[in-house]
Amino acid sequence: MNGNRSGTAVGDAEYMEIQRFLYQEAALLDRRDYRGWLGLLTDDINYRVTIQQVRPAEEAVQRFCIVDEEADSLTLRVEQLADPHLTHAENPPTLTRRFLSNFDIAYGTAPDSYGVVANLLVYRNRTTGPEAGFYVGVRLDVLRRIDGALKIANRCVDLDETVLRDSTLSILL
Amino acid sequence: MQKNGNGTGGWVDVERGLVSREAFTSDDVYRQEMSRIFDRTWIYLAHESEIPSPGDYAVRQLGSAPVIVVRDDGGQIRVMLNSCRHRGTKLCRADAGRIDNITCPFHGWTYQRGGALITTGFDHHFPDGTDFSELGLVHAPRVDSFHGLIFACWEPDVIDLTDYLGDIGWYLTAFFDRTPDGMEVLAPPHRWRTRANWKIGSLNFIGDRQHTATTHIGPSTLDQDRSIRDGFRKARQDSFHVVTDEGHGCTLTYLALGMPAKSYDTHAEALQPLYEQSLEPDQVAMLHHLRVSVGTIFPNLSFIESQAGSGEKAVILRLWQPVSGTEMEVLSWVFAEREATAEYKDRVLRNGFHNFGAAGVFEQDDMELWASATAASDNPIARRHPYSFQTSLRYLDAPAEDHKWPGRAHRPADTEVAQFHFMRRWDALMQSNR
Repeated sequence: MNGNRSGTAVGDAEYMEIQRFLYQEAALLDRRDYRGWLGLLTDDINYRVTIQQVRPAEEAVQRFCIVDEEADSLTLRVEQLADPHLTHAENPPTLTRRFLSNFDIAYGTAPDSYGVVANLLVYRNRTTGPEAGFYVGVRLDVLRRIDGALKIANRCVDLDETVLRDSTLSILL
Repeated sequence: MQKNGNGTGGWVDVERGLVSREAFTSDDVYRQEMSRIFDRTWIYLAHESEIPSPGDYAVRQLGSAPVIVVRDDGGQIRVMLNSCRHRGTKLCRADAGRIDNITCPFHGWTYQRGGALITTGFDHHFPDGTDFSELGLVHAPRVDSFHGLIFACWEPDVIDLTDYLGDIGWYLTAFFDRTPDGMEVLAPPHRWRTRANWKIGSLNFIGDRQHTATTHIGPSTLDQDRSIRDGFRKARQDSFHVVTDEGHGCTLTYLALGMPAKSYDTHAEALQPLYEQSLEPDQVAMLHHLRVSVGTIFPNLSFIESQAGSGEKAVILRLWQPVSGTEMEVLSWVFAEREATAEYKDRVLRNGFHNFGAAGVFEQDDMELWASATAASDNPIARRHPYSFQTSLRYLDAPAEDHKWPGRAHRPADTEVAQFHFMRRWDALMQSNR
């Protein structure tokens, strides 16, 4: 992932533009506009969510994916969530509110691309049960400018979790 | 219905095909399950490939107690209570790792990784004649593995693992030891907590074909591969439940056996000759036609082999670990043949957890509905009304005569016969193991 960042921070104008794009994207997911969200992805999207195993401090952190999708499988996942007749986990829907902070935005190594690191906090209220809680982690995105518009080409969400305490993950991060 | 009132004092009404909701909600039942079943029978802990080298360990749950599953210097698997003999401190506080000697962080008692006490640090203050060899870690008295699947038991007199698995072993072999090098775990287990009774998981996997069309309406609607659905339809009459005396069972879903073998592209071409080397011809024939298989090893281990892609099969192992009467922790591992290519394993892993992992498109709907069943049953009014397993009754005493493989088979495969079989075994143990 770091290989996609050049190490050169973007200027203020692009910093603001990218923040605005990602805030709008978060609002779109909070509104559960899933098909709209698919429109923000490149055709070669790779979307991952990782957790880690509790290991001794002397050992290297071992992360592993709980979600690892490319366009085809991600579309299937999103179509299931988007259609109320095709999901029980999200019907009635989970209430969510996404918060992004601690942005570090650099030019990508590829032309017209950016590498974004940001902290992510998602409040989730599973309305059908007593559970309400947070997903917290760091998000690493690669954005690409295509015909002037920003698109998400790669997303990896490293959650600060070892055991999901609130049952399975059924929202997008 | 609290208990069934038929005089046996159990939770299962055998005659009417009913089970008390208390069995699926009560913390008192959970505590009895721990002492009467989980601390007395073989429980699955880990796969040998998770701890390949001496010193590799994983912390898992054996019945009511957390244990260290470790490979000792001689390569033997040891299962030991994760608690210091001195004042009880947890010795391995990570979920997995590598240890040399084990030194308790509290006062410094030090053990070999095989469990023997090396020193307390204060041996000279102990009474003369103290036998320090008796102060090693507490071992599970019975540890064994079946094709790399490690089980242990706190009851020294339990029957041998192979006998315990019995006829289901024939099927497990076809999934977990079908190539010369066997299977391996591809990643650490996905783990999640769900507010549902653990038995719902065991029942779901032993044979609940009635839930697939409704619970999994999402994936089954979005599956555009018409040939698979057509195959499913043709397969219906050739699918069956298999049950065994210990309460194990599985459900095998076939393409019609009469169809040409190549009409359904199940397993990777490169792996098929390896199956022929390792398995009996009947096991190969079974795998060759299999669309999907699910099963449960009593009490809380389940497996599923399903299509990952054309010519790929994901094998998933699943543990339903009770936390209380109304909560469990789920562990889910994905397996592939060691001989398979790295690309094949990667596809199997990704597809395995796309469907059945901690964010699986099947799993998320299962968990929502299991938690909802548990929540809605956990009150005195609901508990007056037992769960129905009535679609088992017509079939319980009528096994398929033409089944030539181990275990008793029942057709059709969309009844609750395997589930009720599980609950009868559960009830018998709960009544007898006092």
